[in-house]
Amino acid sequence: MSDARMSAGLARTDPVPGERFEFPGVALQLMPPMARASLRARTTTSLAKFLGIDVPQKIGSCAGPLACLGPDEWLFRSADGLPVIDDSSAGVAMTEISERSVCLLVEGPQAARLIMSGCPIDLDRFDIGRATRTVYDQVEIIVFRTGPARFEIEVWRSFAPWLWTALVKAARH
Amino acid sequence: MSGFRLPAGGRVDRSTPVRFRFDGKSYTGFAGDTLASALLANGVMLFGRSFKYHRPRGLLAAGCEEPNALVSVDRGAGRFTPNLRATGVELYEGLTATSQNRWPSLRFDFGAINDRLGMFLPAGFYNKTFMWPRSFWDKLYEPAIRRMAGLGEAPTLPDPDHYAATYAHCDVLILGGGPAGIEAALDALDDGKRVMLIDDQNEPGGGTLAEPDMWPWLESSLDRLRSRSDVTILTRTSAFGYYHDNFVGAVERLTDHLAVTGDGPREKLWRIRAGEVILAQGAIERPLVFEGNDIPGVMLASAARVYAARYGVAVGKSLALMAAHDSGWQDVFALARAGVGIAAIVDVRGAVDAALLAEAETLGIRTYLNHSVIGVNGRHRVRSIQICRNGDDRASRIPCDALLMTGGWTPSVHLWSQSKGSLKWRDDLGAYIPDQSNEVVRCVGACSGSWSFGKGDVIDALPTPRDAARIKAFVDFQNDVTAKDIKLAVREGFRSIEHIKRYTTNGMATDQGKTSNLNGLQIASAALAKPAVEIGITTFRPPYTPQSFGALAGPAQGPLFQPTRKTSIDAWAERQGAVFEPVAQWRRARYFPKAGEDMQAAVNRECLAVRRHVGIFDASTLGKIEVVGPDAAEFLNRMYTNPWKALEPGRCRYGLMLKEDGFITDDGVSARLAPDRFHLTTTTGGAARVLNMMEDYRQTEWPDLDVWLTSTTEHYAVIALQGPEARKLLTPLVDGIDLSAEAFPHMAIREGQICGVPTRLFRVSFTGELGFEINVPTALGLAVWERLMAEGAPYGITPYGTEAMHVLRAEKGFIIVGQDTDGTVTPFDAGLDWAVGKTKPDFVGKRSLNRVDIAAPGRRQLVGLLTEDPEQILEEGAQIVADPAQSIPMTMIGHVTSAYWSATLGRSIALALVAGGRDRKGDVLHIPMPDGNHRARVSDMVFYDAEGSRLHV
Repeated sequence: MSDARMSAGLARTDPVPGERFEFPGVALQLMPPMARASLRARTTTSLAKFLGIDVPQKIGSCAGPLACLGPDEWLFRSADGLPVIDDSSAGVAMTEISERSVCLLVEGPQAARLIMSGCPIDLDRFDIGRATRTVYDQVEIIVFRTGPARFEIEVWRSFAPWLWTALVKAARH
Repeated sequence: MSGFRLPAGGRVDRSTPVRFRFDGKSYTGFAGDTLASALLANGVMLFGRSFKYHRPRGLLAAGCEEPNALVSVDRGAGRFTPNLRATGVELYEGLTATSQNRWPSLRFDFGAINDRLGMFLPAGFYNKTFMWPRSFWDKLYEPAIRRMAGLGEAPTLPDPDHYAATYAHCDVLILGGGPAGIEAALDALDDGKRVMLIDDQNEPGGGTLAEPDMWPWLESSLDRLRSRSDVTILTRTSAFGYYHDNFVGAVERLTDHLAVTGDGPREKLWRIRAGEVILAQGAIERPLVFEGNDIPGVMLASAARVYAARYGVAVGKSLALMAAHDSGWQDVFALARAGVGIAAIVDVRGAVDAALLAEAETLGIRTYLNHSVIGVNGRHRVRSIQICRNGDDRASRIPCDALLMTGGWTPSVHLWSQSKGSLKWRDDLGAYIPDQSNEVVRCVGACSGSWSFGKGDVIDALPTPRDAARIKAFVDFQNDVTAKDIKLAVREGFRSIEHIKRYTTNGMATDQGKTSNLNGLQIASAALAKPAVEIGITTFRPPYTPQSFGALAGPAQGPLFQPTRKTSIDAWAERQGAVFEPVAQWRRARYFPKAGEDMQAAVNRECLAVRRHVGIFDASTLGKIEVVGPDAAEFLNRMYTNPWKALEPGRCRYGLMLKEDGFITDDGVSARLAPDRFHLTTTTGGAARVLNMMEDYRQTEWPDLDVWLTSTTEHYAVIALQGPEARKLLTPLVDGIDLSAEAFPHMAIREGQICGVPTRLFRVSFTGELGFEINVPTALGLAVWERLMAEGAPYGITPYGTEAMHVLRAEKGFIIVGQDTDGTVTPFDAGLDWAVGKTKPDFVGKRSLNRVDIAAPGRRQLVGLLTEDPEQILEEGAQIVADPAQSIPMTMIGHVTSAYWSATLGRSIALALVAGGRDRKGDVLHIPMPDGNHRARVSDMVFYDAEGSRLHV
């Protein structure tokens, strides 16, 4: 498993446009590529031992490159490549999923409202620094709140064009 | 404008005239009018024809409970909306509306013959009469009845409008913007909560819009609410459904009231989760039941007051009132003060408050206590009424051009009931009111039964000296249910209101019984001599008012109907002019026609290229699951039929998966990357299902296993290179992997680089040729594909699609789960006995394989079929018989599952499920098809290179 971004001079293709789309009160933009990994472990302690870094313990909380998505599930995301493993005997399952999803940045005072056009979560009361797996209409997404008016949406690559179209349509309305 | 517009008053904008058309005729109203108020102002009282008897009908009400005045509004191609209540259609310049259920015209309607035949059309008439002969129903009875007994016509063109949707959250959600709702919103403010106030009218205010004295209060209250950023007020928004945990559905109408609608959404669906719901939906006035109560001009007293005070329109020039409740007196007093002529007040009660009588006297209105209206004269409009002292039979006539009626008030408990709140009966109101709540919800104002409308008597029908069996006294106006229909239902043995409702159709029209349910209940109660509360109440279901399909579908139309998943290589295929087909949610290239080629020609060329040179295929859609953990091999050993523990790292194995019933559910080739890591593949359509099934077992059956599953389907683009030249093409592009047959045998996996990109390289084949499947990170899939196309040109590299892939695998007898299996095929039926680990202690489905019927002889088994005419391609799905001379219906012994032209073999081939098929090898079977009967011989499933000499090179 190595980092795809390191490879050759081959051109990447992305499922949605690269340029920033501005609408009244909200902007949409594809975020740059990231290394991603799904980390699964029985305990927070074993994951902390595996990575040698702090690990968020509460479901929905984030710390550094890690988001805790479930009782035994963490999502690692970083522009600096896959995690450096500290102790591979810790009993942690790591699977690279760098290119499984893309990340859409939604920012602006209307960002929460735009996402709530198809996402049933109360994003007005969603703390900064939280992440959760949810849906936008028929598509599974992971929402991160990274600022008062800034959200990041992880979506599987092949669903991204649909989500992009849906968000653009909702933003125009 | 005719004389029905009052000289002053109302909330309409008299400085802004608005032109509109109704049934082809031009009229003018004012901004702020509804279609109903504007037509009334023009002296129009005939709005439609009733459903069953085609009786002329006017307006009963002024709000959403209106049962009669249903119209169609036409805004141009695809923008035709039938069955709109004229009371809810806001006037705009150029509005074009038509009446419904009449032919050839509203005033002269052939269907009105039904009214004369009324005594032959009792409740249940259609059910009783048109049962026999059964064969007449589909072709004669039903089409004829549908033509006669219809409402508006369904639109025929696609709807060009857009619809939006959103979720919303609030702490207090108030449904109903009348005085009680506004007070509740003001009360909630101080707590600093997010408040939403929803009202279905064009402006909040509810009943106060018909009470000019309240307008200053209304104005200042709304100003206070609107100044707050934590308050959202939605007007023209109907809350139609109340679901679990304070989840409320509402539709906001955004453009239907506009002359120029623009290109924004027409309606918006609000899905609201509320901390607390406050229902302030008010109450609806009940009609009275008497002969002629449906003649145009007979309407609810409260509605007449709304038309006068809110819209500045008199519903007539000389009004009479038939009262069983005080509130109608107050309405008439208000009308009299507004300058409307009042002919008389008739009250069924023997005594009323002296204050009412005094007020009537002051206003110079004649009153008749202990009297009832027993008949209404006029067909298209009230001309006079006949009244009679109760118990007497001498009628007297009072000329008037409208008759108001007031039968008491029914709290609107629809949404409360949808929330599963209980109801209790109030004898004094003759209605159900909210009792115990089931959600965090409370009712305020009139919908809770607390109102200041005065008091009244609760009666089932007005007394009359006439034979009740010969008169039409309507209960449900829209569905044409009369009092005698309900009595007939009781005579025929119906006891529960739920049964009476369905037999008579009372309350089943588009208004859902808003004005008819309680009158129906009272009549049934009287007929059964039982208290109303023992007869029950019908169930309230969403929607509270009819909603458009568009609003409920929301943005899910066109490209947003459903995601079309595309691979990273899809854009290349599109540029090559590929023909696509849907596979689950994916679209896949089916074949790549060159100029002048049809599908067969393209597929033949693609197949031969793979067999002779090298083909390239986009297999990215295959499901991929990474199974990781010390117990990974043990887990797979339990999930799949075949053994996995001994598989060496670097090797692949075909995996067959059953459901617990022992039938095949999925298959795929999987690789062991390391002792604790597997890379599984599933079918394209099975990816999500297989992962869910595995997660289900992992989490619930074997939580002790240390193993985790991650979908990696979309992390990898997968490029299949298949054909004798595949290795030669690949060798110079790959780093870190020895591609020689000895170092990298069939059914192996290696990790390395291709074109400088990290790859998991499988040596596998679904074609029977030397083949590789190249897994690279998805974002680089297209770049690697294009590189392979360029480097492969000297070898004649040929892209092939799913159709050629199907042919190539069928030549080798490889099955496709879901095509050659149908959920009733066991591994033995499919000839996959070799993939079942007989000595394994257990695997999913193992025990079912020992069931008697699964082990029984004669089950349908997969076999090959070779037609005697090699040019004949069988139809997939065609049935198979042993003896074509049988009489129809023949005994079918199986069906064709796959059938193709094989360019490699120069003849057709087919796979089929045939009863006892493997024992029929060599037999001739018959396949009757539309073009005749075809003979075919049962063969092996492997048609090409049975010894596998082309694979192991």
